Amino acid sequence: MANNDYAIEVDHLSFGYSEKLFLNDVSFRIEKGDFAAIIGDNGSGKSTMVKLILGLLLPVRGTVRVTGRDVSGSNRPSEIGYVPQNSGDSVARFPASAEEIVLSSLYRQIGPFRFASRKHRAIAREAIEQAGISELIDKLPSEMSGGQRQRLMLARVLANRPEILILDEPTVGIDADAVDRLLAVLHDINIHSKTTILMVTHDIAKIASFANRVLCLSEKHFSENDLPEGTVVHIHPLMHDHVYEHIHCANCEKSHDPDKCAACAAQKNGGRK
Amino acid sequence: MITDIFLYPFMQKAFIVGILLSVIIACLGTVVVHKRLSLIGSALSHSSLAGVAIGLLLGFSPVLGAVGICVVAALCIEAIRKRMPAFSELAVAITLSVGIGLAGVLSGFVKNSSDFNSFLFGSIVAIDSFELIVVLILSSVVLLVFLLMYKELFYVSFDEEAAALSGVPVGLVNFVFTVLTAVTVSVAARTVGALVVSSLLVVPVAAAMQIARSYKTTILWSVLFALLSTLLGLTVSFYAGLKPGGTICLLAAAFFLAAVGLKALRSRLGYSRHREESHE
Repeated sequence: MANNDYAIEVDHLSFGYSEKLFLNDVSFRIEKGDFAAIIGDNGSGKSTMVKLILGLLLPVRGTVRVTGRDVSGSNRPSEIGYVPQNSGDSVARFPASAEEIVLSSLYRQIGPFRFASRKHRAIAREAIEQAGISELIDKLPSEMSGGQRQRLMLARVLANRPEILILDEPTVGIDADAVDRLLAVLHDINIHSKTTILMVTHDIAKIASFANRVLCLSEKHFSENDLPEGTVVHIHPLMHDHVYEHIHCANCEKSHDPDKCAACAAQKNGGRK
Repeated sequence: MITDIFLYPFMQKAFIVGILLSVIIACLGTVVVHKRLSLIGSALSHSSLAGVAIGLLLGFSPVLGAVGICVVAALCIEAIRKRMPAFSELAVAITLSVGIGLAGVLSGFVKNSSDFNSFLFGSIVAIDSFELIVVLILSSVVLLVFLLMYKELFYVSFDEEAAALSGVPVGLVNFVFTVLTAVTVSVAARTVGALVVSSLLVVPVAAAMQIARSYKTTILWSVLFALLSTLLGLTVSFYAGLKPGGTICLLAAAFFLAAVGLKALRSRLGYSRHREESHE
């Protein structure tokens, strides 16, 4: 059943080529306002799962719904903002200022064959500020560090004010401090803008203190040692009988306990169900 | 007197055509360089020779033949690039070799080779009124389209995939840009020579990238460097009795070296200031 309280619903999803399935009968739900992470070994299907959610790949079986709408095989749902893997590196040598790069992503708002107005500039500046790189607004990507470039890519996506933010391995190749800063920015966006966040990562230790829902796309159990007890939703992609789901906030003993957890309380006070 | 140079009608025409072509070639160049198609100028201008040969052999205007083949060659580059997105330079190299090969084979059938030479080397100081008008119209069209598609061209050269996902008509933008580049290169090859086109398409952009602080200023600096190279090149070659095309190319390269030097100096100064600050 489609339910508009869910940002993303994945039902009995299978994907693969010929007889080999990478993902077999995977089901999970991400509620609006969640900070969710997909973890798993290399090749466990994390990025494939993201592409299925974005509608870039067609599932063999099952459905993907974004805010209640079936997106399987369609174009990218407009409510999703997507930061691809290594996107910061791809722009490293392009001679454009941060503001120009963020402005380019406002194409739909500006309209074809027109120039950006002052209003669009203000939106771009706000997104740059939200990504925590205001001081770099006039800098070129080549003058930024890997972490700063990653936040520039984030600002590009934020300019369109997405309801759901999906990031594919945003912490790869940046140093520990930069990872902390990026996660702090994402946490802030999650709490204050009520943006649902889904992040593919294998930085389990870092994500544990931010994510309230972790999806494990691996037969290996990460939970016991790496995450607070009860945080992980195990999805065993290759075993039908092990598909189950439960929801926990990383900070709470029980599901979303606003009395004990600041993140849950902030979300509840913000009018969340 | 320095103003002597403007008393000659052929020099007046050379300056007008030089200014117009410098501006539009530098604008197109900023996109060409960022799409990793730096050698497209060489590929297209040499391919246009095949068109000249076809025109001469079949008895229609060699200029039309050159423009036609240039557009076909440019569309071929675009088609190959689309199939092998990570190897843009391969598309240019393939088209360059086919263009030269075709021109070589066809030239064997052309009796009067002087036509060929005029197309390969062009001559900015031997421009007739018709060519002046063609350059004037072409420049207006290119400038207008470049301004209209400024945002689209920026996005397509920055991130073609994201541009397509954001609703930019990538196919149309690439097609229009490719045709404009092809027509500009073939017309400019006839008037200022293949050498000058290939050089002004990339060298001023390379120089601009050393000092510019944004995409917009990269374009402005490229236009400035292209204009300075052309104007100084024409003046110097006139008084020193040098070949104008070669002089323009060498000056463009000199500006590039100066820009590299300036960048190195600037970063060294920035580095020492940074060290002083951290010592305080």
